[in-house]
Amino acid sequence: MLRSPAFRLFAWVFLSLLALSMIVPMVGVVATSFTSKLGSMQPGIRLWPDPVSLEGYTTLFRRFEFWRPFGNTLYVTVIGTLAHVGLCALAGYALAQPDLPGKKIIAGIILVTLTIPSQTILVPLFVVFRSLGLLNTLLSLIVAELVSAFSILLLKTYFEQIPRPIIDMAKIDGAGPLRIFWSIALPLARPGIITVTSFNMVWKYNLFIEPLLFINDPRKITLQVALQSIIGGGGTTSTSDIITPNVMMAGIVVGLVPLLLFYPFLQRYLVQGLYMGAVK
Amino acid sequence: MMARHGVLYLMVLPVLLYFAVFLFWPALQGFLISFQKFGLMGSQGWVGLTNYQKVFADRTVLRSLSNTLTIACGITIFGTLLPILPALALAEITPAKLRRSFQTVIYAPYLLSWVIIVGLWLNTLSPVGLVNGVLLAIGILDKPISFFTLPQFGQPLVIGLTVWKDIGFLSLIYFSALMSLDLDLLDAAEIDGAGWWAKLRHLVFPHLLPVIRVVFVMTLLGSLRTFDSAWLMMNGRTADSVRTLAIFTYERGLLRYDLGFASAAGVLLLVISLALTALTRLMPGIRPPKEA
Repeated sequence: MLRSPAFRLFAWVFLSLLALSMIVPMVGVVATSFTSKLGSMQPGIRLWPDPVSLEGYTTLFRRFEFWRPFGNTLYVTVIGTLAHVGLCALAGYALAQPDLPGKKIIAGIILVTLTIPSQTILVPLFVVFRSLGLLNTLLSLIVAELVSAFSILLLKTYFEQIPRPIIDMAKIDGAGPLRIFWSIALPLARPGIITVTSFNMVWKYNLFIEPLLFINDPRKITLQVALQSIIGGGGTTSTSDIITPNVMMAGIVVGLVPLLLFYPFLQRYLVQGLYMGAVK
Repeated sequence: MMARHGVLYLMVLPVLLYFAVFLFWPALQGFLISFQKFGLMGSQGWVGLTNYQKVFADRTVLRSLSNTLTIACGITIFGTLLPILPALALAEITPAKLRRSFQTVIYAPYLLSWVIIVGLWLNTLSPVGLVNGVLLAIGILDKPISFFTLPQFGQPLVIGLTVWKDIGFLSLIYFSALMSLDLDLLDAAEIDGAGWWAKLRHLVFPHLLPVIRVVFVMTLLGSLRTFDSAWLMMNGRTADSVRTLAIFTYERGLLRYDLGFASAAGVLLLVISLALTALTRLMPGIRPPKEA
């Protein structure tokens, strides 16, 4: 773009270094996770398991019953995302209708929600969730961020791009709003739906503050919280003396796998949604 | 006609109800709780401004406030400006296929949870890890540094890892803005003898300015609510330097059940956040979000 060999050289060097800062730690984690218990405590540059061992993984699944948090996370991610996308699409569609009286006020209210981050209301959120009997339920994690202004406004932009004549024709044919929404608007806004679904799945999978806040019951903890208890929050606490690095990193790898499997297929949508979001 | 609108209103209703019950109501509650002595069992009566007096006299709160502002400042400055570099660099990479590979790799950390990110770097920066291994091998260090337990590395690590995690995401925003730059203009500048720096300074940078402002607001508001990252990197020795106000409200309110006091600290954070949002609106050139 700038037509400067010096700048082009810089571009290659800079991006390669940046990419390496992502790849090398990842390789190191995988290497450590497949290293034996004693080997993983040895100092040095380790980019290959030495000696190779599955100890980390066997300990992880035997001692920590890692299946349970995985199942909980899967449940919350699938149900939570379905509900999220459904509710946000309904609202986004309604707000995309040009002739809806009061839609500016409603859109305004939705925008205002962006100014109240949940991190500033952790205590009252806990109080409200408790009074509704949601503490220690997986339902609480589905309810957390059940709808978001980001998703609604993003879907609204997609619905607005549907050519009006298509909708008007359907109206003339006597189709009601719900029918138009379901059989015409949803299929036409498919890229938007996939984008919001992808983002929300990643979001639900990564949920951390909410389970920390709402879940006490060890049978109901989610993957991220289970992982946190294994890596021990970065400190040298007495528990991390017992949990060796190979077990910790096995946990990290297990937590990474679902996302890395899912990423290549949805990358296009995750990037596309980003552009749409940035334009707003 | 009214019936048709009726259905449309019904379609938005769940969303509005949700925000009312799970956002506006808690926000109001937080405000009310902050004026009460409030334990785990509920209110023990109104105490006026006592909680706020305690908030402004409490050493830990003030420390958390200054940590929050320092961390937010660091994340905002580096998080706004650094992603411009990979965006400019990406524009230089051909063929497009290779460029997409770079994008894929640098965008990935944005999707990972903070637990995974901290795990990755805990391994890489551990006393027996890669970075110490390299530094020892080339003789920069004679004994390993335990990066995650030294207080002086606390804030730099929170800021650094946040910027690193988001750099791919934010650079894509800049990159998409670069794609709308008029290439003929750059060619014309080239003919007039402009070097790469002149082109950057006089053409590319002004073109990016509106996007820089948007990214600035995004990172500023995001960084004020720092919780996961700092919480996961916090330990006995670094707590004093990385505890943010959001973490403080969690610790005091939900681990020590002093809900009234914690709510007052939460209201303080919310007010700072709202005030800065309002201030950014006054910044020249920030478009208010489209309301239709």
